[in-house]
Amino acid sequence: MEERDREMPRAELIAKLSAVPGAAPVEERRDGLWMLAPQLDVEAMAREMVAIGCRLVTMTGLAQKNGETTIIYHYVRGHEVINFKTVTRNGAIPSLAPMLRPASWIEREIHDFFAVNFVGHPNLVPLLRPASLKDGFFRDPEPGSTVPEKQ
Amino acid sequence: MPYTIPIGPYHPALEEAYKVNVRCVAETVQQVSVDVGFSFRAIELLAQRREWVPDVTLIERVCGICSNVHAMTFCRAAERIAGIEVPARAQYIRTIISELERLHSHLLWAGLAAEYMGFQTLFMEIYTLREQVMDLLETISGNRVNYGMNRIGGVNRDIADLNSVIATVQAMAAPIENDVVPAFMNNATARGRMSGVGPLTKEQAIEWGVVGPVARASGVATDVRVDHPYLAYQELGFKIVTRQEGDVRARVVVRALELLESIRIVAEALRNMPSGPLRAFEGMPDIPPGEAVALTEAPRGEVIYYVASDGGKTPARVKIRTPSFVNIPALEAMTIGQQLGDISLIQASVDPCLSCTDR
Repeated sequence: MEERDREMPRAELIAKLSAVPGAAPVEERRDGLWMLAPQLDVEAMAREMVAIGCRLVTMTGLAQKNGETTIIYHYVRGHEVINFKTVTRNGAIPSLAPMLRPASWIEREIHDFFAVNFVGHPNLVPLLRPASLKDGFFRDPEPGSTVPEKQ
Repeated sequence: MPYTIPIGPYHPALEEAYKVNVRCVAETVQQVSVDVGFSFRAIELLAQRREWVPDVTLIERVCGICSNVHAMTFCRAAERIAGIEVPARAQYIRTIISELERLHSHLLWAGLAAEYMGFQTLFMEIYTLREQVMDLLETISGNRVNYGMNRIGGVNRDIADLNSVIATVQAMAAPIENDVVPAFMNNATARGRMSGVGPLTKEQAIEWGVVGPVARASGVATDVRVDHPYLAYQELGFKIVTRQEGDVRARVVVRALELLESIRIVAEALRNMPSGPLRAFEGMPDIPPGEAVALTEAPRGEVIYYVASDGGKTPARVKIRTPSFVNIPALEAMTIGQQLGDISLIQASVDPCLSCTDR
């Protein structure tokens, strides 16, 4: 049986998540496991999640007023939903795209919306952003009432 | 001499805009890249400027095919933040609408697959069946798309004539089982056109993180209805349909067999529909500060919503991850080494939704 198909007791899963460099205590919520870890080593986290057979389903960006961006990494493993919440440092965070194909488009999208620099992304070009808008237009409180067509 | 063909952004058959750049040597595809974003509407941003109730209407417009799933998943995330328990009858109605939506989505896609193969008779047969589902949805909700069934805390409408809906969906089972499924599984034209085309191995499916029928056709037994049971799926039971071949035919067969499972679920839900209220409360919802993730199985696969509230009148953040957003990039893996003439069939086999992808 492959590692990803093995039923893993929640306690064992939490222990593995807690061992990632920069980890914080894991919260057990109704919608899954959550870790709020500003100092999380996201590359080490991604390697560990691959090793235990977790699938990166998406990432969420949330603008902070100080110019940084909260990044949430959402994973699924069997019946478990695992969420790591961390934050950019000087507007940047390491890219997971070199090791995880599904990370590529979502990092490009977050770059479009919040101008996050995903360091090491092999192709950080716009994915959805119309050419007439600047990176990070989700941060602007009034970015315009209409979105022009992509050129 | 290698050459590049830009396919799109406007397609003769696909009504949505996206671009596939195909680099070939002779007729063999060597490299593929996909451009999206031509229908970008910034729905996530707009949702953060509207109040919770109008947001349900806005978010139902993410997709014209799986509109119900989007409105429902948004409501489920908001309900989770507020600790709202949706009444049992509303859970069953949401389940029934979700499966009717899957039926019409899969039938629409199967019909298009038949048309792309040049199998016009099958196309007509499938679209006749699809019209019956559309009529049912119109009878229940008043609309053929954007049904407006969901509200935070429950549903807006009841299903009045349960027996008539049961009779209609059950009557569809025979033509699907006897005509549609065998046509895709056994017909020599269909087999010849689809077998071995656009392969995606199980390892590649995991590597690219594909979801829904695309993943299940490559042997990945994943389905939110089983992995993270919601609504009435746990009570009604559900069987995951998988195939091991990972080609276009496997994607067609998985969807065709899922039609029968959806019919069974709809009939079972209607027979066991509990009585009781349709909504947890009347009036406007009060969503306290908090955040929640909600997963749902749309016709094309896993949908995930992250919703955050700061206790205000509008959501603080609405993040939408649609299945097409993760399935479309895997076209690269499916098309390299394939014939240029098969590209349109391969991309159709993913059932790409650009309205969902671009949002």
